[in-house]
Amino acid sequence: MTEINFNDVSFRYTTKRDVAAVHELDFTIESGEFVGITGPSDAGKTTLARLIPGYIPHFYDGQMAGTVQVGGIDVRESSMRELSDQVGFLFENPFNQLTGASMTVLEEVAFGLEQMGVEREKIFGRVDEALETVGIADLIRRKPQELSGGQSQRVAIASILALEPDVLVLDEPTSQLDPHGTEEVFQVLANMDRKEYTMVIISHDLERLVPHLDRLMVVDGGSVALDDTPQNVLSSDDEVINQLNVPESIEIGKYLRDKGLVSPEKHLPLSVADTVEELSPHVRRSGRPEPSTTNGGVDRDVGPASNPATDVEDPLIKFENVDYYYNNEIQALQDISIEMAEGCVCVIGQNGAGKTTFVKHLNGLLKPTNGTVYVNGIDTQDNSIAQLSRHVGLSFQNPDDQIFHDTVEKEIRFGPKNLGYPEERIDELVDRQLERFELEDVRDEDPYNHGLATRKHIAVASVLAMDTPVVVLDEPTGGQDKPGNELLGDVIDDLVSEGKLVITITHDIPFARDHADRVIALCNAEVLIDGSPREVFNEGSTLAETMVEPPKVTQIGKQLDLPRTLLTNDELFKYVDTSAD
Amino acid sequence: MSARDIDINKFIKESTEGESGILQYKPGDTLVHNLNPVTKIVVATGLIIGVWMYPNFVAPAVIFGILLGIVFASRLYRNILPVLVVVGAPLLFMMFTIHGLFYPGNMTPYYTISPVPVIESITIYEEGLLFAAMFFFRIMVLLTALLLAIVSTHPREFGVAFTEKGMPPKLAYVFLAALQLVPDMRRQANSIMEAQQSRGLDIHANVWQRLKAFFALMTPLIIGTLISAETRALALESRGFGRTKTPTSLFETTETTVDYMLQACTVVGVIAAVGWRVFLA
Repeated sequence: MTEINFNDVSFRYTTKRDVAAVHELDFTIESGEFVGITGPSDAGKTTLARLIPGYIPHFYDGQMAGTVQVGGIDVRESSMRELSDQVGFLFENPFNQLTGASMTVLEEVAFGLEQMGVEREKIFGRVDEALETVGIADLIRRKPQELSGGQSQRVAIASILALEPDVLVLDEPTSQLDPHGTEEVFQVLANMDRKEYTMVIISHDLERLVPHLDRLMVVDGGSVALDDTPQNVLSSDDEVINQLNVPESIEIGKYLRDKGLVSPEKHLPLSVADTVEELSPHVRRSGRPEPSTTNGGVDRDVGPASNPATDVEDPLIKFENVDYYYNNEIQALQDISIEMAEGCVCVIGQNGAGKTTFVKHLNGLLKPTNGTVYVNGIDTQDNSIAQLSRHVGLSFQNPDDQIFHDTVEKEIRFGPKNLGYPEERIDELVDRQLERFELEDVRDEDPYNHGLATRKHIAVASVLAMDTPVVVLDEPTGGQDKPGNELLGDVIDDLVSEGKLVITITHDIPFARDHADRVIALCNAEVLIDGSPREVFNEGSTLAETMVEPPKVTQIGKQLDLPRTLLTNDELFKYVDTSAD
Repeated sequence: MSARDIDINKFIKESTEGESGILQYKPGDTLVHNLNPVTKIVVATGLIIGVWMYPNFVAPAVIFGILLGIVFASRLYRNILPVLVVVGAPLLFMMFTIHGLFYPGNMTPYYTISPVPVIESITIYEEGLLFAAMFFFRIMVLLTALLLAIVSTHPREFGVAFTEKGMPPKLAYVFLAALQLVPDMRRQANSIMEAQQSRGLDIHANVWQRLKAFFALMTPLIIGTLISAETRALALESRGFGRTKTPTSLFETTETTVDYMLQACTVVGVIAAVGWRVFLA
């Protein structure tokens, strides 16, 4: 068993000399501890993680001070190869970390063992064991390239476990996965034998992470800001907590303690069931809710799109009985008829439900096999993508698929320049986006000097600069911290108030709840439900068909038998009887 | 299912990578499929040297015929014939016209077409035709022999077989990883193109626009490939890549008596052919 020891560790990357990525880290992680690390984007979490397997200083160049010891060995004195006996590292991207030379999951997991020259017979045993631990024994014959993100990430974990390390470091293992894949990976954590491993997990997804942890560290500005049990950290009053995605159940628990309804000594609730249990004696189930004392809980479902069944006047987007088949075989859209005019429309549903195919129809990247798609009254069949891009701006999930200029400003100019706008208008539009995304200070910097969260903002900004009446965003919130998500949310609200139609594909249910005027759930190429967030999230059992869970507070409200579908904690608090007795 | 229950040799040989098309491995259980990859390359090379040593078209034509027979017997015609037709048909036409008309050694008229406007008549000569036939069959033997070896061998078999013969394992990894990189990059190039077109890039406009489109495609593609290469390098290092000079291989190639005999015959045959050309002819 191995303990990890950071002794006054600071590091500056050669590529970014002016800032210390981490500063005077000083802590010990005991053998067998499960430690979560969270914090705002670019806070130094990944740098901290890279120090444990020796990637720093052996792979990344820079100035390092202090010592990191793993199992008593100074990583500086050791090599990455030697350290790999003790430390396994899981990367963010589920596909890049596979060897790329295996034809089967079996070979992929066996790769490290082959390299170490382990006997054939032993290899088989260890591969079986590793696959069993991560729960994918049935995938052993599959090709690694054909797996889903969640499966691929589990194969990567199995490949590490097969080498029998003592320490596992997981760097944002689920930030690029859909909710189903995320659940798969966290399930692995739940099954890990705590006596055998020391775990360090970096994640923004506190909702799922916290139940597995012994200890939670919050890193901010390169230093450890908070370090304690998850409950103590999350109930702290520190500023940095506002930058974290604190689980709704924790917030409800805090409220009950603040109001003196639950003893502050009691652990904060982490699951829906625990929260329901705490709330149950204190809610009024019948009659009218207590008049609100706060201004929260504004109904978002009073909007122009609240009743999508009625005909919309002058729809910007209109689908008429659209079918789409890939290679004339696989049906990805089936008889879709939809009209959209304004507001924020969120499209949700599991992977493979047809969301991406749907989006690609909006600007002519795909043309319907049957039926017609109208954009601003134009049939997409008769127009090129370039022509349609005047009406619809589309930003895809991965910002690195589009960024290619050496400054942020040039990157944002690319879209409007393609549309041939006059120079003055381009300047104005670009400045507007730089301001919106708080990028003015970095306008002359290289986009790749910034983290993924910022690059994502740049990619969205470059599409918004095209000033199109319809804006489509594919998974804009993945892998971002709370301030990043809030900024995007503000931008979307802003666009809606300017009268634009914003269509967002998202797995982020709280985001859809907070910003959507209308939610469309797709399932197996068809529209499953279409309505206001309140209508859609009320249908928990229907949404389960497409692997979507309503917001936690909605589930809590349902289990408490409250008369109204809840969307926010503030709405829930109106039902809480605060007159202590 | 347990790892031990899998006959990995059989399993890998039966698996194909993505779409099985021209020039790609096609699984099967024939004599050719079951030969050691080294044998296939040795025999193919031997045949190529042999037909180049032989001074007329008879032997190359006979060997080409035999190879075609093997292609059909191994059920690999779908992957090989299209290539042979695409390369062979224009080659045949060009060889026979050019050499038939202009071969330096042309003496004996074979066929004369007349009258022809302007130049009165065209004569095709026998020497030229014979030379063209010889060259055509040599090329066809080269193509068919190599295609047979490639199409009947899983890329992994090549890697393992040559590692067993002393090739560094890292080189085998590079060979296999490079094969998979191509479809990966194609997929990525596709999503980049879609992202840039969605930002109003017109890829069908004038030359200047197309040049711009090229940069808009290549830059993210290269950066993306570099980023994933960095992750992969670290991941490989963490899995002890290159730790021992003699890694274990789950996949094993077999070398049977047939392999040894074929390899020996080829070596003897090539030596004999060279000797015959140098000393007797």
